[in-house]
Amino acid sequence: MVILQAGLCPGLTAEMIQLLKANGIRTVVDFISSDLEEIAQKCSLSYKALVAVRRVLLAQFSAFPINGADLYEELKSSMAILSTGSKSLDKLLDSGLYTGEVLELMGAPGSGKTQVCLSMAASVSHSLKQNVLFIDSTGGFTASRLLQLVQSRTEEEEEQVVCSVGPVKLLVVDSVSAVVCPLLGGRQTDGLALMMQLARELKTLAREFGLATVVTNHVTRDSSSGHLKPALGRSWSFVPSTRVLLESSQGPLGKASTQCIASLRKSPRQPTGIQVELDIGGYEALEERPGASGEEL
Amino acid sequence: MRRGLPTPRPLTSAARAMSDGFGKAESGAQLLARLEGRSSLRNLEPYLFADEGFPIHGDVIEFHGPEGSGKTEMLYHLITRCILPKSGGGLEVEVMFIDTDYHFDVLRLVTILEHRLPQSTEETIKLCLGRLFLVNCNSSTQLLLTLYSLENMFCTRPSLCLLILDSISAFYWIDRSNGGESYNMQELNMKKCVKFLEKLVREHHLAVFATTQTIMQKSSSSAESSFSLKHQCEADVDYRPYLCKSWQQLVTHRIFFSKKCHSSNSKGFSIVSCHVKRNHVVKCSFSVAECGVQF
Repeated sequence: MVILQAGLCPGLTAEMIQLLKANGIRTVVDFISSDLEEIAQKCSLSYKALVAVRRVLLAQFSAFPINGADLYEELKSSMAILSTGSKSLDKLLDSGLYTGEVLELMGAPGSGKTQVCLSMAASVSHSLKQNVLFIDSTGGFTASRLLQLVQSRTEEEEEQVVCSVGPVKLLVVDSVSAVVCPLLGGRQTDGLALMMQLARELKTLAREFGLATVVTNHVTRDSSSGHLKPALGRSWSFVPSTRVLLESSQGPLGKASTQCIASLRKSPRQPTGIQVELDIGGYEALEERPGASGEEL
Repeated sequence: MRRGLPTPRPLTSAARAMSDGFGKAESGAQLLARLEGRSSLRNLEPYLFADEGFPIHGDVIEFHGPEGSGKTEMLYHLITRCILPKSGGGLEVEVMFIDTDYHFDVLRLVTILEHRLPQSTEETIKLCLGRLFLVNCNSSTQLLLTLYSLENMFCTRPSLCLLILDSISAFYWIDRSNGGESYNMQELNMKKCVKFLEKLVREHHLAVFATTQTIMQKSSSSAESSFSLKHQCEADVDYRPYLCKSWQQLVTHRIFFSKKCHSSNSKGFSIVSCHVKRNHVVKCSFSVAECGVQF
């Protein structure tokens, strides 16, 4: 709701605003949706001046259409695919994390979401030399684990500690449900509005700054079909463009193992249902341990 | 002259009629384009429409469905049908795409175009893309103002006859929270958008496709279900209307998308297409491959 003020655009003087206010036109929307002929007569203002102001206000406050060919050119040069450091995860995500898009990792507590996030962050910051912004809302970020992951990739201490100032390429939010869940529920719609604002911000950041965004979420069971579905409800489910489900797999002899199974649940460019196995307990990139399935622990 | 043969009338209303276009003169070409109707959208997609087989100008078609049910893929399919040259099997018309939730993926569109035109060069792809215009809106106020500013484009481009809004329900919760306690205030922006959209559709003979998301669970209470059963097609789909009444009344066709969980055949998605006034229902299924939607 932008209120008309003097100086909002050239040609919009204080007297003009007073006259418009007297006729019930206070905001930009009121002005643009009104009939300028009528206003010119009622307020005895110059029709030409009003038309000029309308044109400038529209140019200022409305969005500008871009031609498809120009958009394609822009995207060809600005879009990048960040490898996650793990061949199997890259295969699941069609060669990696796409900038401009939001990836959701969903899974039960303990299924390995934070480990996968840490591993991706270590890989992007070390191998790709890009800056990573890691937002932790659960307290699950441990510097010592990150150190282990980075140390496994390089021996030199200098390389491990390098600081750099520059544009961020990867944004990880772990987890988004921890901050949003307390707001939802009940009959108030404020929580949902806040969640949608957050979603809008994440997507705007991803698109405008060319970031790849990863968020983690919990799972709930669908009441009718019994399948696992992401938490935070239907409105949130439209937000990520790619969704991966992480489930910890049982090792042989029924012991919990450090393997987890990642399955693709939603993707804009791959068929869903692909599954890969990741090893989240190791120090290297998330590769499956060779010969893992039949081996005795 | 806008009205054809001059008839005797009071001077003031004639002057008003002439300056209706905010002082812009309409050229002869524009007048003809407006009166003859825009290039026909004949054979846009026979599978989607319950009767006639092609959208008539003035139709407002709503795509409704949960996430991952193929709505955006279907839009890409329609866009490629429109922007491909006639030699490539398309209609060679221009499309305006309003994206409200940063959903549009131009690279996916290019992949589909490349599959449809096997011997295409970069130049032909860019020529096709030149027929698509994309706008991003991030609030319902901006959507309203953008519709106002696009009016000029519709006037000056006679081949721009398709308007796509993906999605029109993106601001629903934010508007509800901003509007405070009164439903009127909450729906105000959307009502204004719908009113202006109706004016655009009527004056410029457009066809509009808009997607809405299934964000409400279908009410199981008997009072509401008896009310919604007036349309036979709505009985067996997960549909609960939540946008303002003026939008419900503007829609002429409603197409419900759903994803089949464990389908025995290869077609993973299904649609139920209803013509709102005639209550005529058509069902079909489709699958999505790398080359786009396949019926």
